[in-house]
Parts: sequence; structure tokens; C-alpha cells
Amino acid sequence: MALFSQLSSIVLPVFICAFIGFLWTKNEQPFDTDLVSILVYKISVPCLIIATFSKVKLDPEALGTLGLASTVLLASGGLVSAVFLRLMGLRFSSYLPAMTFSLAGSMGLPVCLFAFGPEGLAQALVFFTVTSIGTFTVGAAISAGRMSLDKLIREPSIWAAALALWFLWADWTLPEWVVNTTWLLGGIAIPLQLFSLGSSLGELRVSSLSRAIWLSIIKLSLGFFLGVGIAEIFGLTGVSRSVLILQAVMPVAVSNYMFALIYRREPAEVAGMVLISTAITAITLPALLAWLLTGN
Amino acid sequence: MIGGLVVNFGVPCLIFSTLTRLKVSLADFGAAAGVFSIAVLANIIVSMIILRLMKRDVGTFLPGTVFANNGNMGLPLCLFAFGPEGLALGISIFVVSATANFLLGVSFASGKMSLRETLTAPHLYVVIAALGFLFAGIDPPRWLSNTTHIIGGMSIPLMLLALGVSLARLKVSSVGQSLILAAFRIGFGFGAGLVLSWLFGLEGTARGVLILQCAMPSAVLNYIIAARFDKEPGEVAGLVISSTVLSLVTLPALLFVVIHGLN
Repeated sequence: MALFSQLSSIVLPVFICAFIGFLWTKNEQPFDTDLVSILVYKISVPCLIIATFSKVKLDPEALGTLGLASTVLLASGGLVSAVFLRLMGLRFSSYLPAMTFSLAGSMGLPVCLFAFGPEGLAQALVFFTVTSIGTFTVGAAISAGRMSLDKLIREPSIWAAALALWFLWADWTLPEWVVNTTWLLGGIAIPLQLFSLGSSLGELRVSSLSRAIWLSIIKLSLGFFLGVGIAEIFGLTGVSRSVLILQAVMPVAVSNYMFALIYRREPAEVAGMVLISTAITAITLPALLAWLLTGN
Repeated sequence: MIGGLVVNFGVPCLIFSTLTRLKVSLADFGAAAGVFSIAVLANIIVSMIILRLMKRDVGTFLPGTVFANNGNMGLPLCLFAFGPEGLALGISIFVVSATANFLLGVSFASGKMSLRETLTAPHLYVVIAALGFLFAGIDPPRWLSNTTHIIGGMSIPLMLLALGVSLARLKVSSVGQSLILAAFRIGFGFGAGLVLSWLFGLEGTARGVLILQCAMPSAVLNYIIAARFDKEPGEVAGLVISSTVLSLVTLPALLFVVIHGLN
């Protein structure tokens, strides 16, 4: 019963918020995705990064290890998925980003926050930052067919992460007004991201579900085995191990659908993967959390 | 759309989450709301007299001189000056103020009472639910407190951003006389808060929150209502803007007084 209450306290807020976004769009209320993404990614997420790292003092070395582990996880996930896709004869440009990049922001952040408190959020932000860098460089390059660093440089959260890292390294403390302001603005990110997730899930145009189903299963189980294995290799324990594994098993990120839409890389197929992997997560996430929280 | 999300989900969740998390005593909650209502009444009476004397239309300007930005400006100030306890008391005042502002503001502007929109406002029911939990002495389930906590967390920053956006969009027609009314709004509010907290023996956070909330600049909602009923929105905008600008000067002094006391 205690475990059930704990699991519901982690999973339900995420699905309730997404459901609100879904209902909002289904009721034909306007949902200005552009405005929301500016509020979230240009303003709130950078603030969330700065505020969280000024409140949770992580050891810079442990932070580096987690960052490296996250990078290795994404890279190896991408490589293994590339082999799979080649064997199945599926196009990289359409499927590889979806197989590699997961919902580390809108779902990963609140799940890690509710499961492990502010310390969990801080570590989840490390993985999220690595994912964002990957999405904007490699992910965009695979979809667009060319690499461009422009987007990365114009992404405020990258600058915020660099700044937070620097302050952590130099052991400086930010003035209270900066902490208060960023903390306040950081509160926008998680609920708006989840509303936006629900709203876009409601608008996805899906085709052939069968391929989406098995690709999603491959992605999620691959994430699980890589997460457990890489945590082992890097000697991660406790919260950082759990955060890495949780983040590895998040569903396909909606941003993959956006890229697929922009570059016309079979968006309907990617939409199917987003939808199916999120639906599967509703079952696998509580199970995974139960496993992680009861100490395996 | 952002406004809709904040009003329908953000603010109700903020109210629920703050009230149930904090365990403010019902007596403190009621006292803050009650004393603030008296301040509003006093303000209405004195505003009527002053507006008559200045030969201005009472229906147009009264809401602007009486109702202040207790939500998007008052709440963050209460939070940062007095912590979560201050936020809880600030919310109790905000609920009274928002309800009365809507009810009386629309009534004055349209010339008739409209209970329907007031009664369909979600925050009233949320207050009742939160008070129910407090009264019964039980904690809400954790999934509910977590959900309302994160959704509530977006309200204050989004309200502040919206305040900036709406201030930038206001079409002001005259500033001269509105400056007098703005000074009245803040000055009388401050005086009323000071006197009432002394009369009712409020101390510490309760006193500070009351004075702070009473001395906020005129609410942006007044402009929205004035624009909807075409009651000289340009003039009301002048009042909102000039009182907000004035509060830039008065706020630091005000915060000093409520935090350190007068002596």
C-alpha cells in the first residue's frame, strides 16, 4: 500500500498534467505551441537549471561522471539502433532520432523530481542537457541531412548549464535575487511541458501502428539494458543510477515528431512511435519505479 | 490561452497546494480575509467621497481605486517577504479580493450584479476543498498534492509575465489626474492596512501581509473590465500604469516597514 501510494505520487501527476493538455486541445481551446515553447525552452528551463544547481550542491566530479555516462548511453543507443534499423531496412533519417532521443524533459524531469526530490531533479537535468545537445546537433543533422551548430548556440539552456557548471566548479554562490527569480520562472517549465505533451499527443496523425509497436518495444527495452549496463560500468549507485536508468527508459520524445514534420521524414510513423511508447510507459514506468525504489 | 491555463488550472492548484501544505490555522486564514474585507469596505466609502469631490464618474474609477493587484504582484511579494506562511495568508486575501473585484467591478461597470460568473470561478470551490482537508485534519493524497504543487508553481511567474505584457499593451489617455487617484490607491491602502492591523491586534506575518496586500497598485483586471464595458478604458489604464509605476518607489519603503516595523 505504501509502495502503491508512492508510485501514484510519482506517476499520476505526470499523466494528469498531460491529460489536462490533451483535454484542452480536444475541447478546441487554442494551444499556442510556439508561445509555450518560447516560455519553456528560452525562459523557464534555463532558469530551472540555474535555480536547481544553486540549491542542490552536487559534487562536480560526480556530475562529470553522470554527464559522461549520459553521453555514452545516448551514443551507444544510437549505434545499436542504427544496426537494428539497417537490418530491418528502415531509413535512418526517419527513425534513428526517435529511437535515440527520449522524453528526458517533460516526463523525465518530473518523474525524477517526485521519486528522488531536488537531488533527483538536478541529476535528471544533467541527462536532459546532454539529450538537448544531442537533439539539436546530431538529431537535427540526421533529420535535416546536415549538421548545424547555430541552433545549439542559440539555445539558452546550454548557456545556463555552462554557467551553472562554472559556479559549481568555482564554488560561487549566486545572489539571492537571482536564485529567487530563476526559481520562480523555473516553475513554469514542468507543468507547461506536460500540458504541451498532452496537447501534441492529442494532435498526432498516426499511421501503421504495428511497426510503431515493435519499434517502441525495442527502444524501451534497449534503453533499459543500456541504462543498467552503463550505470554498472561507470560505477553509478543510488540516485544517479536510478536517474540514468529512468531517463534511458523514457518514451520517444515529441521533438522527434516536430523534426520529422519539418523535414518531411514520415511524421505519421514517428507520431505512432511517440504515441505507442508513451502508452507502454504508463505500464512500464510504475514497474520500473517499483523495482528501483525497493532496491532491486 | 496562457491566461486561461493560469486562471483555470494554475491559480486553483496554487491555492489548494499552498493551503493544504502549510496547515495555516482556519482562524488566521479567516482573520486575514475578514480584516481585508473591512479594508475594502472602508476603501469603497472613502473612494466614493473622493471621486464625488473630484467630479469623476464613480462607476468608472471606483474599482480602480479599490481593487489592487493582490494576485500577480501581491502573492510573490508575500512569498518572498514572509515565506510560505506569508503566501498562505496572501492567498486568503487574494481570494477575497479577486472575487470582490470581479463581482463589484463588473456590477459597477455594467450597472447590474452578475453572480453567475463569480459562482463559476474555480478558485472558490478549491478554497472550500482545501478548507475541508484542513478542517478534517487529513492530508490530501500525495499524488494530489504533487500534481497541484507543480501546476500551481507556474501561476506566479506566468501571472507576472502576463502583468508585464498587459502593462505594455495598455492604451493610456491621461496621466495627470490618474496620478492623484494612484497615490490615493496606494496611500489609503497603506493607511487602512496599518490602522486595521493595529485595531485587530495583528502582528508579525499577518500584519505584514495585510499592509502589503492593501498597498498594492491598481489591478489590471480593472482595465480589462473597463475595456469590456467601454467605461473610459484609457483613463483606467492611466490609473493602473501610474499606480504600478508609483509602487516601484513605494514598494521598497513599504517592504522595509512591514519587515522591520515602524520603530
